[in-house]
Amino acid sequence: MPTETMISCEALTKRFGHFTAVDHVSFAVAKGSIFGFLGPNGSGKSTVIRMLCGLLEPSDGRASIAGFDVAQQTEEIKPLIGYMSQKFSLYDELTAHENLNFYGRLYGLKGAVLKQRYDELVSLTHLEPYLNRRAALLSGGWRQRLAMACSLVHKPSVLFLDEPTAGIDPVARRELWDLLFEFSSQGMTLFVTTHYMDEAERCSHVGYIHMSKLVVCGEPDDLKQLPIVNPPDTKRIDVTCDHVTTGLQVVRRLPGVRTATVFGQSMHLLVDKGVSEEFILAELAKNKIPHADIRPIAPSLEDVFVALTNNRNEDTK
Amino acid sequence: MKTPFRGFTAILYKEFLVVMRDPFTLFFMIFPPLVEMIAFGYALDTDVKNIKTIVLNEDRTVESRQLIEQFANTGTFKIVGEAQSVTELADLIRRGKAYVGIQIPPGFTRDLNAGRSAKVQVLVDGSNSSIASSALNTALNVGFRRSLLVVSANTGLRSLPVDVRPQILYNPEMRSPNFFLPGVIGIVLQIATTFATAMSLVRERERGTLEQLMVSPLSRWGLMLGKLVPYLIIGMFMAAFLFTIMRWVFNVPIAGDIGALMVGTFFYVFCLLSLGLLISTRAQNQIQALQMTMIFILPSVFFSGFIFPRETMPWIFYAISTCIPATYYIELERALILRGASLGDFWFNLVMLAGMSALLFSLCAAQFKKKIA
Repeated sequence: MPTETMISCEALTKRFGHFTAVDHVSFAVAKGSIFGFLGPNGSGKSTVIRMLCGLLEPSDGRASIAGFDVAQQTEEIKPLIGYMSQKFSLYDELTAHENLNFYGRLYGLKGAVLKQRYDELVSLTHLEPYLNRRAALLSGGWRQRLAMACSLVHKPSVLFLDEPTAGIDPVARRELWDLLFEFSSQGMTLFVTTHYMDEAERCSHVGYIHMSKLVVCGEPDDLKQLPIVNPPDTKRIDVTCDHVTTGLQVVRRLPGVRTATVFGQSMHLLVDKGVSEEFILAELAKNKIPHADIRPIAPSLEDVFVALTNNRNEDTK
Repeated sequence: MKTPFRGFTAILYKEFLVVMRDPFTLFFMIFPPLVEMIAFGYALDTDVKNIKTIVLNEDRTVESRQLIEQFANTGTFKIVGEAQSVTELADLIRRGKAYVGIQIPPGFTRDLNAGRSAKVQVLVDGSNSSIASSALNTALNVGFRRSLLVVSANTGLRSLPVDVRPQILYNPEMRSPNFFLPGVIGIVLQIATTFATAMSLVRERERGTLEQLMVSPLSRWGLMLGKLVPYLIIGMFMAAFLFTIMRWVFNVPIAGDIGALMVGTFFYVFCLLSLGLLISTRAQNQIQALQMTMIFILPSVFFSGFIFPRETMPWIFYAISTCIPATYYIELERALILRGASLGDFWFNLVMLAGMSALLFSLCAAQFKKKIA
């Protein structure tokens, strides 16, 4: 089955005065995929989403959803997309039930159709016990579920989620992702922005935006194979030891160690192929860190983004 | 489904729920108008009475005391003390102890009896113009009447050569609440309604729900009308409530047709709600919305004829007043309530209000872009 392109951007650009928030960004998202859009705060993630949703006019370039141009055919796009903003835009004075009803009516649902869709969404999000509670009194996780239910009320083909898991507890986060996978398997296209690398690893495709420019875009596994992430004659190793912070100071001084980063109780090192495990162990022992485990690892997405960002920063210097 | 008012009923449903659940908005629509109405009804009384007056009677005769009594009997003056010298009299006025000083010099009775012109000095503090003009008129009147008595006694005249008999047609007691309260209702309605719609849309902008509405297929006309109708209904109830208070608490009779009054009110409120929406398409936050609302309220207070008659205004203010909805509404209200006029007599006002409503509403639907920034 040929993959159908659902979202496509070609040199999409947005300028606010002299500031370019989004600079010639191009990518395509296939139907049914989960596209993770990553980047630091203020890098232009939300601006891209807003342009795709027709809320902002692109300054240059073009973008389309299901073949409809976002700037010209905004009204055709609206029934196709769902949008869940960072703020989980709900009406605080209204109960969960009323919020969901309102969004249903807004999309022209009524009577039995509305009732049926309402029941589906309630059972999907397990909102049942909270239906008569005012949205203002719902906790973060339940607000998020309600906002999600509201954005799904019209069965959109594409769902945009702008940092859906910011400020949500880990359980709610996992449950949200389980839902996203379910939607994806039903053919819905998902466009998710996030700060969390573990979430990025779950996406079928990721894009990384830095300083308004799209640095890279592709499947996570492919990105990890990029030459720039795996320079020739280097290897990645994980060093687990006591006193990681002291250990980091030690290994950073060693010849042949290109980068070293702390990951919880261990360090991730990018070293020259010639650097032996024994050499590192001996150096750590000299600095009163007698026990350490070393094993080879594959690059993570974070490694990919760090490598690409550093590379780009050097290019611009 | 591509109707121009797409999404209207959804917004209507939501807006009613929000308004009913938001005690803050309801409070601000009901409470301040009540307070303002009571404040204006009781306090804004321009009938000047009981002006504090000091007397310096250097004549000390029956005639001079009689004259002072005549001053007091008008009700305009209230004798609050006596001064011993001219300097003391002037000093008391300067210090604000009295607004008026009456000085009767020593030879008053002698001159009166001798048929010479008997002098009475009246000092008036001009710093408050309405008190001063009232004191002046009454003082001259007292002197004139006293003179007339003397003249008629000397000539044996039975009746006045010219007898002016005024008949006050509307508001015969010339009560100031009758004049002011319809105007107060106009102003109070403007404050409450403009504020309500301006705030309601700006609040959605602040909370981010407006963005959510803009990604939906909701049409701008649907949004605007959905926002307007609930407040229109509340506004009409509010107007009915204020008219009830005016009629039964302040005893201002409604001479004209109440139905006609409500028709005028409908267009007036529609017009102001549209103005509020127009403000909300511009204002980025509630503070801005509040300030912009106030900008439109002040001219309505000063230039609409609510307090100062428009006819005596400099042309520039008169020109401004012709652009203000309150001008037409207050004029219409006074005509209907006080003079029992019919809508037919004041069709021009109604047309102006309806025209302004249509213009402002179209303008805000056109102004509102379904885009941010």
